[in-house]
Amino acid sequence: MSAALARFDPGRRAALAAVADLLIPIGDGMPAASEAGVAGRWLDEVLQLRPDFGPPLAAVLDRLIGVDPKAALDLLRADDPAGFGVLAEVVAGGYFLNPKVRSAIRYPGQQSVPIASEVPPDYEQDGLIASVKARGPIYRPTPRPTP
Amino acid sequence: MLIVGAGASGAVAAKRLAEEGFDVVCLEQGGWPDYNKARAPYPDYELTSGRDWAWDPNARGAPADYPVDDSESDITALMWNGVGGGTVVFAAHWQRNMPSDFRVRSLDGIADDWPFTYEDLEPYYVRAERDWGVSGLAGDTAFPGGDGPPMAPVPLGRMGRRVAKAHNDLGWHWWPGPNAIATQKYGRLNPCTQRATCLWGCSEGAKASVDRTYWPVAVERGVTLVTGARVKRLQLGSNGLVTGALYVDRDGKEHVQRAAVTILACNGIGTPRLLLVSATETHPAGLGNSSGLVGKRLMMHPFGTVVGLFDEDLDSWQGAWGQHIHSLEFYETDHARGFVRGAKWGLQPTGGPLSMTHSYPWGEENAIWGPGFHQQLRKRLGRSAMWGIIAEDLPEESNRVVLDATKTDDSGIPAARIQYRMSENSRRLMAFHQARAKESLEAAGAYETVIAPFIRATGWHLLGTAMMGADPSRSVVDPWGRVHDVPNLYIFDGSTWPTSAGMNPTATIAAVALRGVDHLIAERRDARTSS
Repeated sequence: MSAALARFDPGRRAALAAVADLLIPIGDGMPAASEAGVAGRWLDEVLQLRPDFGPPLAAVLDRLIGVDPKAALDLLRADDPAGFGVLAEVVAGGYFLNPKVRSAIRYPGQQSVPIASEVPPDYEQDGLIASVKARGPIYRPTPRPTP
Repeated sequence: MLIVGAGASGAVAAKRLAEEGFDVVCLEQGGWPDYNKARAPYPDYELTSGRDWAWDPNARGAPADYPVDDSESDITALMWNGVGGGTVVFAAHWQRNMPSDFRVRSLDGIADDWPFTYEDLEPYYVRAERDWGVSGLAGDTAFPGGDGPPMAPVPLGRMGRRVAKAHNDLGWHWWPGPNAIATQKYGRLNPCTQRATCLWGCSEGAKASVDRTYWPVAVERGVTLVTGARVKRLQLGSNGLVTGALYVDRDGKEHVQRAAVTILACNGIGTPRLLLVSATETHPAGLGNSSGLVGKRLMMHPFGTVVGLFDEDLDSWQGAWGQHIHSLEFYETDHARGFVRGAKWGLQPTGGPLSMTHSYPWGEENAIWGPGFHQQLRKRLGRSAMWGIIAEDLPEESNRVVLDATKTDDSGIPAARIQYRMSENSRRLMAFHQARAKESLEAAGAYETVIAPFIRATGWHLLGTAMMGADPSRSVVDPWGRVHDVPNLYIFDGSTWPTSAGMNPTATIAAVALRGVDHLIAERRDARTSS
């Protein structure tokens, strides 16, 4: 186990799971964050990809252990926006790495979609651009030098 | 010939000089981009893009970066220090300036005219567009007629067609977006596959960043490109000419590169920084600074975003990013609006699911977290489109780049400090354009719109800090980029812009550099040199 992962013992992971479910709760047929594994497998994955998140996340979670998660989260958003930003990125980043989540939201990733060449292009075929052309120039020309 | 900086203008100069048989050395403080880190095809793309392709040098903290103290600036400076410069991470919006941009004093009674006109620059735009590999459509009614880019534009897509139709209904201008993105195989460029990841390292080799286009050609033609070479200062001979540069390599070893002619291509912060650190007894305020204008008139383009949410699935995480269409409807000055000048709008994708959770552009007041998370995500993901608004800011001498009195980079060179405040004109301009962009998206069928909050991290365009002009008392370089005070020193980057226009600047940086280097080549035999 890497040093980055070793930092996240069960206590910190439990704190993360609790607060993550406040950020991404169960609903609309979608799992809550903890159910999707953001404090488990996907936390490991996120930290492997973004080890720079490790120290600030650990500091944030230490504020959340043993306290009411909702009150602590509200306080964190108010007085440590940067820390909240890391927490939110880890939670959402891990959530959207889960292939089941990606499938459920119908997000296949940034796909390769070759450009189909249409000659003439659609905006010429259907006249979409015709009214722009018909209006004529909209720019101010270069003024002629004063003689 | 020595070129400092391997970004857009340095690349244009290097390739052109090599074509004419000059011996060229380019010193670049960074290295080549590592496209193995361009993760567009992988699930971790959104998570890792901020790690490997961050735009803010202070946040990135890479070995090639130097500190920029932005604590006195409304906007933070963004840049890429490496081969390709800002083109590695730019959005590739390829915007010519309009004719009025070169004549703001004559037409609007403000700031300064450029020392040449649109018509003077037009042939260089055409050449640059062919050299770079630009896609777009000739005949844009916001510009004089003439040759257009060599490739057909990127598709409008569903979002572009929706907004285009709305603009037709409103009687507003739109046009297929011009982009430095290949839509077919073009030289070394592959056709775009619409992964919408242009700003975080193009994994497809379709975006015309100069590390992919110009530099391989320039190196093949004999240009010596030295990476990891940070210039500490320019060196001045007893005859008042620059003899070359002192630079330090990655191991901390100092070297001297001599040259008959030196060209600076370090962007609107790096160039004045280098001139200021190169002060001598005969140039106590900095090299080339008898006008006192080196570092002053910094312009960074306040940036706005307006997002629309639609019922229709628009696939809005896909497409060129890049711009699908642009609009210049409100670009020209209308004094009745309460401000001068205007802005260009570019219609863009909104990103993948992780982007839907961010506070920009969505705003803290629309935070996605909590019970409504899944509903909000479904509303935004794939069903949103956004206008990016590039606002012209006017030159003010109080907006400037200075040397930091205490901080240095890891080579001991003083850090840059930027002092920049958005003007009242810029604030009014932005508010007007945001309101019109909202109307645009509503007319296109958006059931909800979001005007993004102002954020500081939008200073992609670094302009104006070594102004060009004919009068040496009121400018740093002449109309061809030659430093008035040092006749074998040239500046070809965006520092020389007298005004900022309201356009993404790379097209004009490239055209002005091409014009300048062509003139340098033509005059070379008669030029004074230190050799």
